[in-house]
Amino acid sequence: MIFAKNIYLSYDENKYIIKKGNFNIKEKEFVFIGGTSGSGKSTLLKSFYGEIPLKHGDLVIAGQNVMGIKGKSLRRLRKDIGIIFQDYKLIKEWTIEENIMIPLKINGYSNDISREQANKLLAHVKLAHRAGYYPNELSGGEQQRVAVARALAHNPKIIIADEPTGNLDDYSADVVWNLLKGANEQLGITVVVVTHRVPKNFGIRFRQLSIEDGIIYEVS
Amino acid sequence: MKFLKNIFAFIVPLTAMLISFIIYLFASNILENYRIKIANDYSIVIVTNTPLIKEEITKLAGINVEKIITLEKEKIINDIKNNLSDTSVDLLRQKLPFFYKIQLEVFPTTSELNIIKDTLYQNKNIRKVEIFSKNHNNIYLLLLLLSRISFILFSIITIFAVIIISKQIRIWFYEHHEKITILKLHGASILYSSSTILKYAIISAILSFTIVSSIFIYLLSNIGVILPNDLENIVIVTLSLNDSLTKIFLLSFGISLLTIIGVLLKYKLKHD
Repeated sequence: MIFAKNIYLSYDENKYIIKKGNFNIKEKEFVFIGGTSGSGKSTLLKSFYGEIPLKHGDLVIAGQNVMGIKGKSLRRLRKDIGIIFQDYKLIKEWTIEENIMIPLKINGYSNDISREQANKLLAHVKLAHRAGYYPNELSGGEQQRVAVARALAHNPKIIIADEPTGNLDDYSADVVWNLLKGANEQLGITVVVVTHRVPKNFGIRFRQLSIEDGIIYEVS
Repeated sequence: MKFLKNIFAFIVPLTAMLISFIIYLFASNILENYRIKIANDYSIVIVTNTPLIKEEITKLAGINVEKIITLEKEKIINDIKNNLSDTSVDLLRQKLPFFYKIQLEVFPTTSELNIIKDTLYQNKNIRKVEIFSKNHNNIYLLLLLLSRISFILFSIITIFAVIIISKQIRIWFYEHHEKITILKLHGASILYSSSTILKYAIISAILSFTIVSSIFIYLLSNIGVILPNDLENIVIVTLSLNDSLTKIFLLSFGISLLTIIGVLLKYKLKHD
């Protein structure tokens, strides 16, 4: 599902953040990517959805090579991915229902179908009673549940999450982990999570990669 | 209220530009009508060796001839024959050239008349051209000046309007940057991501068009409101309502969309 061969990532030519990265993430796998702060975890994740261009190597996501990707191909790649951010990235002028409808409408679903699906997902993340609320009216944990629902909305092949519980209390973090586990186990979605702290007693099988000094290691 | 505040800075310059455009439309239409009106009272007289053909004159001087009136030789001879002998009259009848009065479709400027005169003289067949330039109408020249000034003003206001509108669109892009980024991260195109801004621009263009169209329709049926009655023989407005509204609509949407496309392309180049 995600295949990297000799990938190099950098913001400038002089210093590579990821060097000669090689890994292979299979379909339906749950993978954590760890490492210390500034090790390049988020940079690696951003390269998955074309936010940071590859300098060298091959990175194939859901059958599409990310090297030099732009325009329509990049948009197509992003439509195959559900993304969860540490800061939620919800549109504050829109209700949470409208936020969940975003990927559905971009993928060409009608307004009615998008609304119906959004409400199902709101029920799934136990926020059905708050459909008309705006993001600022919700707690951080609730906003992240909305972000998870949005990432699941269009039935993506892969979900990538950047420190999804980084701003949450333990209870909210558990809720988010359970939603991600459910997406992986019940829907068969490949999940890749960047986190500096892998949760204990996770309860499902997972793999762990780590980044140190720009090198990607297989931990378990 | 917030929405109106948002689009106010877009509507004001666009409306100002459209108002300057309708002023130009009125000025040029008044000039055109006056031109046709005085063209009926004006003619060029030419004297030729052989009979004149209308197409040759049009081809030669590039002028739009309304009609050519032949001045009858006999009438001219009759006016002067009392002082001449029969022999002189016979001789005159043989030697007298052909006289024509040329009426033009539109009234030319003094410089255009001089060009017409010089061009006509290039024809060997033409012996004499009289353009009566001294009778040229000062009102016509003033109307011409008014029309040119209104066009220059319209052009200058358009340039400033485009600058102000593009600045406002840039502000909208800045305000909606986060939303655009989020939508693009989900695979949306730049057009889809900036649909709110496009909506603002289209609503602004519709509002400006409505305001200016209302002013235009009012002025068209009440021109006396802004111009004194003394000018009623000079100020004749025959603008077509449908044609003029179409022009105002196209200008309103054309300027709005072209400006937004320009800013959007710049934004795309910067952020893609």
